[in-house]
Amino acid sequence: MHPLQDQTRRHFFQTTGLGFGAAALHSLMSSDGRAAAASSTKEPMIAPRAKRAIYLHMAGSPSQLELFEDKPELKKLHMQDAPASFLEGKRFAFIKGVPKVLAGQFPFHRYGESGQSLSELLPNLGKVTDKLCVIRTVHTEQFNHAPAQLFIHTGTPRLGNPSLGSWVNYGLSSVNENLPGFVVLLSGGKTPDAGKSLWGSGFLPSVYQGVQCRTTGDPVLYLSDPAGMDRTLRRKMLDTLAEMNHAAQQRSGDAETLSRIAQYELAYRMQTAVPEVMDISKEPQHIHDLYGSKAGFVSPAESADDPRVLYKGDDPTFANNCLLARRLIENGVRFVQLYDWGWDHHGSSLGESIDETLPIKCQQTERAIAGLITDLDQRGLLDETLIIWGGEFGRTPMLQNNVRSELKKGYIGRDHHPHAYTMWLAGGGIKGGLSYGKTDDFGYYPVENPVSIRDLQATILHVLGLDPHRFSYAYQGLDNRLIGPTDEGKVLMDILA
Amino acid sequence: MQFPALLVVGLLSSTFAAADEPVSFSRDVLPILSANCFACHGPDEHERQADLRLDLEADAKKPRDDGPAVVPGSPDKSSLIARLLSTDPDTIMPPPKANKTLTPVQIETVRKWVAQGAKWERHWSFEPVTKPGGSIDELVKAALVRKHLALQPSAAPETLVRRLSLDLIGLPPTIEQAEAFAKNPTPAAYEQLVDELLARPQFGEHWGRMWLDLARYADTKGYEKDLGRMMWPWRDWVVNAFNADMPLTQFTVEQLAGDLLPNPTEAQLIATAFHRHTPSNDEGGTDDEEFRTVAVKDRVDTTMQVWMGLTMGCAKCHTHKYDPISNDEYYRFYAVFNQTEDADRYDDAPRLPVLTVPQRTEQGLLQAAVKMKDEAVKQTAASDAEKAAIEEMKWKRPTAITATAKSGANLTAQEDGAILARGKLDNEDTYTVTLTLPAGKHTALRLEAIPTKLPDGQLGIGRKPADPNFVVSELTVEVLQGEEASESIKLANARTDFAQDGWAVTAAIDGDLKTGWAVSPRQREPHVAIFDFAEPIAITAESKLRVTLTQNYGDKLVLAQFRLTTSDADPATLSPRFESPETRQARNELTATQKSLNDFHASLPQLPVLRELPAGKQRVTKTHKRGNFLDPGHEVTADIPSAFGMLPGGASPNRFSVAEWLVSPDNPLTPRVWANRVWARLFGVGVVETEEDFGALGSPPSNPQLLDWLAAEYRDGGWSLKKLLKTIVMSDTYRQASEITPELHEADPRNGLLSRGARFRLSAEVVRDQSLAVSGLLSLKQGGPSVMPPQPSGLWRSTYNGLKWIDAEGEDRYRRGIYTYLKRTTPYPSFMTFDAGSGEVCQVRRIRTNTPLQALVTLNDPVYLEAAAALAKRMVTDAKDPSDRAARGLRLALVRPIRDDEVTPLVRLQQETHAALANAPDDAAALIKTSRGDAGTIPPAEFAAWIVTASVILNLDEFLTRN
Repeated sequence: MHPLQDQTRRHFFQTTGLGFGAAALHSLMSSDGRAAAASSTKEPMIAPRAKRAIYLHMAGSPSQLELFEDKPELKKLHMQDAPASFLEGKRFAFIKGVPKVLAGQFPFHRYGESGQSLSELLPNLGKVTDKLCVIRTVHTEQFNHAPAQLFIHTGTPRLGNPSLGSWVNYGLSSVNENLPGFVVLLSGGKTPDAGKSLWGSGFLPSVYQGVQCRTTGDPVLYLSDPAGMDRTLRRKMLDTLAEMNHAAQQRSGDAETLSRIAQYELAYRMQTAVPEVMDISKEPQHIHDLYGSKAGFVSPAESADDPRVLYKGDDPTFANNCLLARRLIENGVRFVQLYDWGWDHHGSSLGESIDETLPIKCQQTERAIAGLITDLDQRGLLDETLIIWGGEFGRTPMLQNNVRSELKKGYIGRDHHPHAYTMWLAGGGIKGGLSYGKTDDFGYYPVENPVSIRDLQATILHVLGLDPHRFSYAYQGLDNRLIGPTDEGKVLMDILA
Repeated sequence: MQFPALLVVGLLSSTFAAADEPVSFSRDVLPILSANCFACHGPDEHERQADLRLDLEADAKKPRDDGPAVVPGSPDKSSLIARLLSTDPDTIMPPPKANKTLTPVQIETVRKWVAQGAKWERHWSFEPVTKPGGSIDELVKAALVRKHLALQPSAAPETLVRRLSLDLIGLPPTIEQAEAFAKNPTPAAYEQLVDELLARPQFGEHWGRMWLDLARYADTKGYEKDLGRMMWPWRDWVVNAFNADMPLTQFTVEQLAGDLLPNPTEAQLIATAFHRHTPSNDEGGTDDEEFRTVAVKDRVDTTMQVWMGLTMGCAKCHTHKYDPISNDEYYRFYAVFNQTEDADRYDDAPRLPVLTVPQRTEQGLLQAAVKMKDEAVKQTAASDAEKAAIEEMKWKRPTAITATAKSGANLTAQEDGAILARGKLDNEDTYTVTLTLPAGKHTALRLEAIPTKLPDGQLGIGRKPADPNFVVSELTVEVLQGEEASESIKLANARTDFAQDGWAVTAAIDGDLKTGWAVSPRQREPHVAIFDFAEPIAITAESKLRVTLTQNYGDKLVLAQFRLTTSDADPATLSPRFESPETRQARNELTATQKSLNDFHASLPQLPVLRELPAGKQRVTKTHKRGNFLDPGHEVTADIPSAFGMLPGGASPNRFSVAEWLVSPDNPLTPRVWANRVWARLFGVGVVETEEDFGALGSPPSNPQLLDWLAAEYRDGGWSLKKLLKTIVMSDTYRQASEITPELHEADPRNGLLSRGARFRLSAEVVRDQSLAVSGLLSLKQGGPSVMPPQPSGLWRSTYNGLKWIDAEGEDRYRRGIYTYLKRTTPYPSFMTFDAGSGEVCQVRRIRTNTPLQALVTLNDPVYLEAAAALAKRMVTDAKDPSDRAARGLRLALVRPIRDDEVTPLVRLQQETHAALANAPDDAAALIKTSRGDAGTIPPAEFAAWIVTASVILNLDEFLTRN
């Protein structure tokens, strides 16, 4: 064999051994030295506490006051004018003038050995509460959906930056060369407010962007061969292609061609691997019972113009995605991102209320999430998998007043609240059964251990073995980092096991 | 993994001066200091440690307690060197917590520079551009000779023609073009080919696409709702500008400040949409001022980025750590862009209607029709006047009038008895009018709404210029005894010449304040309402009548001018119509024609443009503390960053003078950045690899003299892109063969020295356009609204956005990629897979990747299936023998002559596939159907096998590569 070819080939197979993302690296090296030099961080930078992550984002932002934050003081002030301290100098998305205080609409119970208090809307999550680290004092800088979603996922409220999943994919890449390192699954009938920008790769090479896997149509875009082409024919076609590409490579000496040949082989294997991993029909019934999932179910809400009015508590779309998340990480995907739309409960129109819609959204999701935690645990995967749950901000302790100021069934809502809200982490590296941070009697501000979005991002990277302060990518004259240019973001060592 | 580490050493050694060579501060030392020292010893006063700046010569050489940091000629006395070499964690620099370490090679470079006299220079890219002697080829050869290399011979003629065509117009050449050149491969023939390609209208589409990335062009607004907006007239302006070879000077001034030019043309206003591509956020509950300031910052950052190759963004929050841009200077530059009218409004105002030639004709016709109908109304109205005069005799004016408005507006009686409302304008108002009536019988009250000139210069009968309608919620009449009402008069009936649907005149006397009389859409014409008294009033002496007009609909819908009169005639004989049926008819026609004209205007593309605020309304600019617009700092005045001197001729700083400064001959960055950008498109990588960063942290030029030669050539050649391109593609360097031998790979692994022709994968759009072109499907239709070629269904699920993607049929299915609709939050997926951007922010270069998802696109995206079927059709039509058919397909795609052995695998595939599909007729039919193939007289199994074969051709690495 030609010595150059031998060298490039050896090199190629070394790099592809690292996975889907790394396969592209070869071509980066031949054309983009900086990218190549920067991507040497395929090994964790620090000892990882988890190998992979599943991020469950509830787009629209659930109310912490109905789910996690039991605030009896709010009951005392229920339907009275909000105190001036709630309003002075504040910007709200929709609230105008003086709104009324709104008490939590559902009772709370204590669950588990840790005795964490959770809403009655979360009975199944209550069973795994000892696995959760509930952070009650997350605060963000943004109070509109798209900018706040961009902020928590990409580290800036503006468009054009890599998402958390892309960073992790770039830093660690996929373990399975036949699957993307970063997969996105959607439910709730709409894409999250900031759209595909939330799983874009920004200034990172596009190979690190999230790949949306779909449960209807092609699981990955263009994955299916055209009607009439069976696997034998595709194989034969690709063999001919490879033969001709090899011959051309002999003439040109271009190592990039070898990389391309391998990409076609990867594509061929993906065509089998992805549908296999995306097929939940062979999961045993007890697993489906655990998640509340149902193979092959296509929800009418997923194609409706306004899905919210079609929401049903037993809609298994999100549960199916949870089960898929387990199957994907089992098969080596590094970062699985779920977005569930429909949590923006203002109470100003049908299908977006605290009192009627929130319980439905909880039914759709909380059993599945509890099922996912239980299932990962029983497979010994929970210790290696970081799970993140939350919205982009919280909701106000006040009734939203721009439509009506009285309580009306099906129209009780709260506005956006950036100052304090609840997220939880579970799994690898995280202390279970922990309640972290404390808010004031109204759940308005943190009074103990406030946690910024940057703290959260730093902690997630740290848990996955990426030093948030050193993990960077040079672009436009800056060493860009997920946590931004300042060192405000701190790893929350107190919540790490 | 070892490779990256090796690579880094390789890069260093290529820039590191050999032992006997003088060390250059700007080339060798400054990058080391920038990357490792400036964060604490640079321009940023907040982070500065030990009061030491290493970016300033005077500071570095001034006496200090531990001796000057730099003592020229004496490394041993320089505390900088001592600190770099220290092993003590308390004194070593950079300190351990900085997580930065200099390599021994780097320290030696700095030491040698000090030893050689520590000569200071500015960062290389800030030095003036002067043209070195020689030519592109001589400068490249000079670099090659040092490595004992030489230029490669020219690529084969057909390959060269394909390369040239793909580079200049983004489309493959025809076989005929390639063959003609191959027969006569002379320099003159080559030059003629270059000229022909540069003159093709497709040139502007290909090179314009590059500018679209930089300008963050998209067809939607971005963020949550991501609604569509019409930006394509600007895209067409760009294509035209590139085709016309508009000099960069003009190209710059028109886009940044076309509206500030004297008597700007429509095209110059269209150009300013360049800075209206900034996303706008229509999400409910957003603060428009927040997203307005975000857009202005984007304009600042994008301007510096695309012309100067510098990153301003960091200076938003703090003084730049590496480049000479302070926090104050950021906001001074921001002040230049902070004076446009746009303000993140839902309608994207200000906007400019943009008309095509046929639309202009249509507009002229409609305007003429409106004028004609208006004349007709005037004519018939004149003939009505006589009848009206007789009718008018029945009405008596009061002898005196007083009127007040609840709002405090001034109501003044005119000589003709009309009452005019002026002054304060509340949402609601109640007019109280006291009429002094002569003795006698009174049977009815007449209210005339009389058009008057409103503040916007248009006629209207209500006071709100945008909608001069009114709503009389309730009208009551009382007879007064002194100042007190003695009797309320019952109103029996009401009639009018016109009432708006649902707003009948009787609603004004129904006692219900929620209903009333209104007249939209005829709120600019006179109207009359007659209210019959239930019983005639007979008064013996002069008496007063009080009329109260309650107008509480809100939204400022109140009367602007009206008149009240009474009659003594039998109400049955009173008519509210002045107009004859002819006039009514003419007026109806006028209204309909006017509506057509309004609808036509509403349907026109409305392009968001820049418009400067008038002098009295300009904004005061303050700094934003830590970049937060809610936390303003001190006031600043507009200016450019001081490191770049002054505005030419001491002009006052505005968008126009800034544009002129960007392209002034003294600006060292703009010509370098642009020449480098052009070079990168032709060679796959720039002379400066970091096209986006010409600052201290960017990569140094691989051949500084070549870069300056190109920059000077561009600038001094009238900023003509076509001239620059021609100069480059005529060079031997460009024409080299691209084959890579082991020796070449060893000596120049990344082709940084240009030891061979460039090879790289085609861009997203070119990959698609090329497949459509060789299959014969491509439509060359230019311009107009963006189109929607097939994409998988169900992708568009944006929140609160009903817009649908409908797969185009006909030629719009096969237009060039530049015309594909780009929705920011859900971009066309196959382009994204091939590294195109989403148009959300300025994209300076696309980093090429090579992934399995790309393979899936060219194997299975319907566009490529349809192209394969169309190519198969050409193959079977153009030749008979299977080998000839395969050779034909390969030739069409690769352009170069095809050798016999290349055909063999294709023929074998076709035959085996044919055999297999002959036993699976349903599969053959399905393949033909999904790829929209036309088998004609060929048996389906045979034709389907040719589709599969053609698909191999369209997936060949050589086909996807420009070589």
